[in-house]
Amino acid sequence: MRSDGDVRRGAPLTLLVDGQAVAAFEGETIATAMLARDLLAFRLDRGGRPRGLFCNMGVCGECLVTVAHGSASPRRLRACLTPAADGMIVTTRPDERR
Amino acid sequence: MDGVDVLVIGAGLVGCAAACRLAQAGARVEILEAARPNAGASGANAGSLHFQLERRFLENGEALADQAASILGLNLLAIEEWRGLADELGPDIRVHMRGGLMVAETADEVAILERKVAREVQGGLASRMIDGDAARALAPGLSETVVAASHLEAEGHADPKALTLAFAAAAAARGVRLRQRCRVVAARPVRSGYRLTVETPDGPEDLTAPKILIAAGAWSARIGELFNLHLPLYPVALLMSATERTAPLLDPLIQHVGQRLSMKQAQAGNVLIGGGWPSRMRLDAAGRFDLDRPAEMLASSLRGNLAVAARVFPRVAELNLIRSWTGITAITADQLPLVGAIPQAPGVYVAAGGSAFTLGPTFARLLARRILDEPEERLEIFSPARFGHLNSFMGAADA
Repeated sequence: MRSDGDVRRGAPLTLLVDGQAVAAFEGETIATAMLARDLLAFRLDRGGRPRGLFCNMGVCGECLVTVAHGSASPRRLRACLTPAADGMIVTTRPDERR
Repeated sequence: MDGVDVLVIGAGLVGCAAACRLAQAGARVEILEAARPNAGASGANAGSLHFQLERRFLENGEALADQAASILGLNLLAIEEWRGLADELGPDIRVHMRGGLMVAETADEVAILERKVAREVQGGLASRMIDGDAARALAPGLSETVVAASHLEAEGHADPKALTLAFAAAAAARGVRLRQRCRVVAARPVRSGYRLTVETPDGPEDLTAPKILIAAGAWSARIGELFNLHLPLYPVALLMSATERTAPLLDPLIQHVGQRLSMKQAQAGNVLIGGGWPSRMRLDAAGRFDLDRPAEMLASSLRGNLAVAARVFPRVAELNLIRSWTGITAITADQLPLVGAIPQAPGVYVAAGGSAFTLGPTFARLLARRILDEPEERLEIFSPARFGHLNSFMGAADA
């Protein structure tokens, strides 16, 4: 959940996480938006088990998600370092198109 | 005598595989390894099983290409060797032989490819020319810029991290002793063969055996010096890269006839990219190439290699690169490997000089026969005797 204190937030935006609309604010990372919605599984390991965000500073690679935005090809990005953007499509499941 | 028939110098792929084959034939073998098994090019290469003529044989004129075509007989043996290895050593070595494409993007490249395939077919290899669409059917996602390819069904890849260790385990099961952190620092001929002085973690030690196999990869020329021999092996540092794992994307091995590129998807899902882009070797305190430190990666090589990969197979550009590394192998003065007995030093054998992931297990099998004095003519084209003139003032001191 987000702080209710005296926080100045950016403009509201919406991204899609596994098909689900998630509201966030400019300046927040994808990870922040997901955690605020209790979406804790960022990817699946080789055995198909969910993995959660660990370091939240770009080192561990546990929060790799597939991100499509605009016309660029989808990429695997670290959710903890990637700013959320309006209209971003985030997938935590393996990309079945490959 | 230490009761050892053969001392193998180097626990890379060829050393471990040769030790395994020698022990299978009943020989008593010990392996001396300066660092740890698989520490050099055996473990650092990208695991291609390439049986078509290599690009490096084609880019230096027709004479070299003709000479290199003589390697085809070994490639045919190697195909059979690899088909048997998965059964022999188990699934961990991840042998994947589902085809390989060498692609062409220009008319000139197609012409080179056609001459190459003609040579290969003459040599008995089942390669064939296919057009761009047929290539794309075998490797969906291959660029529209590919106008033709030569295809060989037997090509593919295996896991260099696992293969040497599998041979080392098979050798150990047959009684081979592998001694790590044992660097050979001197060699003297003695009546019963050669006495090697070895620096071990517990101090220097002398070991004697009637026969010695130098299988020390890029270090082999320096080992040769200990025997008062010139081995015309030149270290070269290459670049390899791996992407993150992804779902099945690329089935065959991809090479390029006009560009430096090898690309394949390992069984774990990572796409491995290489193809012979140079790195820069460091120098030691004496100003010589330092073989003990990793070579320095060149940004221009990394950019160039990835650019070719992304042009030939655009979807690879959607993947994150997770690792790039350098490795040092060795090539010879005529590009063909150096495998066999050294005439000026009876009882000393060498196996080095590149192509030794694809051909290493075959070199090991044939060289073991040669070392045990069984008739074996198939290694003749790689014989060190072809450089015998370099050693006409060198060789054995008094025993």
